[in-house]
Amino acid sequence: MIKVEELGKKLGQLEAVARTLGGATIVMIQGALVLGVCVIAGLRPTPAAAHHSFAVHFVADKVVNVSGTVTEFSFRNPHGLIALTVKGPQGEEQAWKVETNSPNILRRRGWTETSIKPGDKVTIEGYPARDGSSFMRVYKVTFPDGRELVGQRPDPTVTDGKD
Amino acid sequence: MRVSCGSGLPALVLAVCCGATFAASAAPDLESFWTPKLERARSGQALIDELPKAAVLINDTGAGELAAGDFAGLKLKPGAIEQVKAYDYKQELKRENTCNAPSVAFFMQAPFPMEIYQGEKLIVLKMEYFDLYRVIFLDGRPHPPAGAPHSKAGHSVGHWDGDTLVVDTTHIEAGTFMNNGFNHSEALHMVERFRMSPDGKTLWLTQLYDDPATFEGLAARYMAWTRKPGDFVYPYDCDPSYGE
Repeated sequence: MIKVEELGKKLGQLEAVARTLGGATIVMIQGALVLGVCVIAGLRPTPAAAHHSFAVHFVADKVVNVSGTVTEFSFRNPHGLIALTVKGPQGEEQAWKVETNSPNILRRRGWTETSIKPGDKVTIEGYPARDGSSFMRVYKVTFPDGRELVGQRPDPTVTDGKD
Repeated sequence: MRVSCGSGLPALVLAVCCGATFAASAAPDLESFWTPKLERARSGQALIDELPKAAVLINDTGAGELAAGDFAGLKLKPGAIEQVKAYDYKQELKRENTCNAPSVAFFMQAPFPMEIYQGEKLIVLKMEYFDLYRVIFLDGRPHPPAGAPHSKAGHSVGHWDGDTLVVDTTHIEAGTFMNNGFNHSEALHMVERFRMSPDGKTLWLTQLYDDPATFEGLAARYMAWTRKPGDFVYPYDCDPSYGE
């Protein structure tokens, strides 16, 4: 077993090497030092509980769409969330939740924290939850003026343009 | 640049000097921002062809994922089958699990970019996914003792085999292996081969896994990235409040 002092010394040497590689690397190595000491100090790894799977929770080969009014939009990793109120067949109000793929991926496609706002009227196409609940993963958000925000495309090898 | 190492130096110094210099002069330059390459046809098929023929290739990289009960043809050990049966997918949506990152046996294939920083004795991979990082030692050090602590990234040692970076990783914390309830054990051993395309624009990787505690034989994954100089990874800053 490596002792804490030895690990600290080794990571200190590592930090010196990393200084030749840039500032961001130094921060990472300092993080490694802290992490390494914590682990050695007795913190045990926790059992796995995965970041959730799209395929397990959603139907990939089916697209549904709902139209309604946005009540909330959260744009944080691991997934963004759009909450909206939808009128049901008998005029009743239904609360839907729409998960987006990672905001980091969407940010590179032009989405921001303010792309969707409470009160916005939207139509959302997406992949339905396997459990039949009012929950889906977003494919596309369309606004009344025709503007679109694309989330998870049916064909992931399409990176821009039309699906 | 190749330099003469002379003939009068003690053998050890000579070996270190020549070894380090050769590595610096001959190693391909992987340092860049790399973004996942989602391919219809695998451009790095040649690297895949170098995997052991008996290895099961898991086709879930990038945007791909396996459905519940689909283990890509891998034969699970009885203990792993029981673990999968007992797995509760709804727990994944719980707040306490939302930011529990997968291990290096899964996080490399996620559809997120990375930055590579390359030195003679050390390569660092800064991953966007969950703000993870990897350190690959090229200085000849061994892995820690078997009982040493495990981590998401594990302990990686590497060397250059011609134009290919070969990385051996152990001490990987048990975690997600297929994102459908099948987890690998802490005994998982992973060997990776990184290679660039001749034009330097594409980086290919194969990961070869051996985990006798959870599955029979060998498993493997393939992934590819496109070089994109000047770009950078974004902070991930996982927010657990997404969970229920």
